[in-house]
Amino acid sequence: MAENWTLHTSPGAANDPVFVGVGEIRTGRFPERGFIEALTRVAILALKDAGMVPRDIDTILLIPNLHSAADQADLVFSRMVEELGIHGSCKSSYMVHSGGSTSDNAVRAAHGLIAAGHAQNVLVLQCERWGSADLNEMITMLSKNGIPGEWELPTGIQFNAIGAMITRRYMHASGSTPEEMAAICVTLRNWANLNENAMFYEKPLTVERVLSSQMVADPLHAFECPPMADGACAFVMTSTENAKKRGIGSAVRLAGSGGCVSHYCLSQEPDQAVLGWPLAAERAWNQSGWGPQDADLLEIYDSYAAVTAIALEGIGIAPKGEGARWIAAGNGDPGGKLPLNTNGGLLSAGHTGVGGGTALLVEGIRQLLHRAPSKRQIEGCQRAIIGGTGGSYMDAQILLLERTKPGA
Amino acid sequence: MNLPKIVSEFRNGLAAGELLVQNCNECGKPNMWPRYACPLCQSENLGWLKSAGKGTLHSFCVLRQGAPGGFEADIPYAIGVVNLDEGVQLAVRLQPEGEEDWSAYRCDDRVEFVGKEDGRECALFRRSAS
Repeated sequence: MAENWTLHTSPGAANDPVFVGVGEIRTGRFPERGFIEALTRVAILALKDAGMVPRDIDTILLIPNLHSAADQADLVFSRMVEELGIHGSCKSSYMVHSGGSTSDNAVRAAHGLIAAGHAQNVLVLQCERWGSADLNEMITMLSKNGIPGEWELPTGIQFNAIGAMITRRYMHASGSTPEEMAAICVTLRNWANLNENAMFYEKPLTVERVLSSQMVADPLHAFECPPMADGACAFVMTSTENAKKRGIGSAVRLAGSGGCVSHYCLSQEPDQAVLGWPLAAERAWNQSGWGPQDADLLEIYDSYAAVTAIALEGIGIAPKGEGARWIAAGNGDPGGKLPLNTNGGLLSAGHTGVGGGTALLVEGIRQLLHRAPSKRQIEGCQRAIIGGTGGSYMDAQILLLERTKPGA
Repeated sequence: MNLPKIVSEFRNGLAAGELLVQNCNECGKPNMWPRYACPLCQSENLGWLKSAGKGTLHSFCVLRQGAPGGFEADIPYAIGVVNLDEGVQLAVRLQPEGEEDWSAYRCDDRVEFVGKEDGRECALFRRSAS
């Protein structure tokens, strides 16, 4: 039985933190687009979306990159303070890091800062250049992320091997077929075809095409492996009091969250077909009073199809063993019962490293602000479940977001 | 670079054809991977036990492309996660059955320790005869 941790903020309260703007640029391969250039562009887009200017921001949180050790080591968060011209007034800038779940933890950090009064207006920034990085350097760098160098790296394990083992265990435990796993990739592609920012916009995909692509790491075919991409996005959070003062009509709040760090390296996970999702979900429901039936849409980390199927089962969207078949039946498709990863997810919008989860979060906020392009906007949506995971699927993180009216 | 003692001792075991599992001299419980303090009782009084080398294959994969730096020549190779009968888990290499053939391996197969993977500081396992 999970703890019952009370969230010390409530809808409409002056200190209740709210999301008020998002920014994103195209995901794909853009070698000419620089790292700081992209961060600057998404910062300005998010600020404009929030009706703010850089001077309004007092805190910058940076989501890290995995494309370059040099860019990772630099104090890019404070460089962005200077690039945006708020040096001298900005109070604090730093990086949050938990791999692919960083965006979820960045939300918790910003939420706590605003609710407690440490910050007023927080800008969260992310940029990754995986699509343009040197492939061998990137694979080698990734092999040091969530993999203990002295114990597991000597086996030659890397990210697709980790995804392949989780996929195989999931298929074994659930009896899901290769066709059902491939159909998840097709669902994501169907959404990407509605997202002009997606790497695979207007590039339809079929189950046959997935299964006839090269075998990369049995049982994963090439089209079941995440496409490495360049991408950047940003979001702005403020307090309800500030949002009211600024005349912001609609915003998004955090109704609760839950998480579980189930392991660091994959060999120490007791059940690769379950991971940390059941405990994360129980904690999220306890904190919010929500259940799995309360969401209008889902934005769940999908670097591999099995990762999402496992999450859907842990969250209780699909019965145990039925996650892949739930998606393969079209439930998460455009026009389906419960839209899933409406930007196309990591598998079809593009895997931007630590940013893949950020892009899903930003899409969830965008949907709840009712600012998605009309062809993929979920009409009247009020509530979304965001799911993230980092490293070797070391954690399961759930954010429950709901639309709110600060001025009401 | 000097390897931490727990790493060099584990690797010396592999080189001698033994799979060592760290064992806490205070609470008597095994740890894997080896730790600097017992995760159960926090004791630093840690020793080793020789594993019987039998276990169950939780999952595995065959990597055919995209090896990390230094592993290119090993392609294709199979990596598995084994749950040892001593109650701890570890990542290993799996022995092919014939030329680059792992097609008979299944999750939950009984597997056994063969020895140190040639040229690598990790354990090699194979399917047990049923």
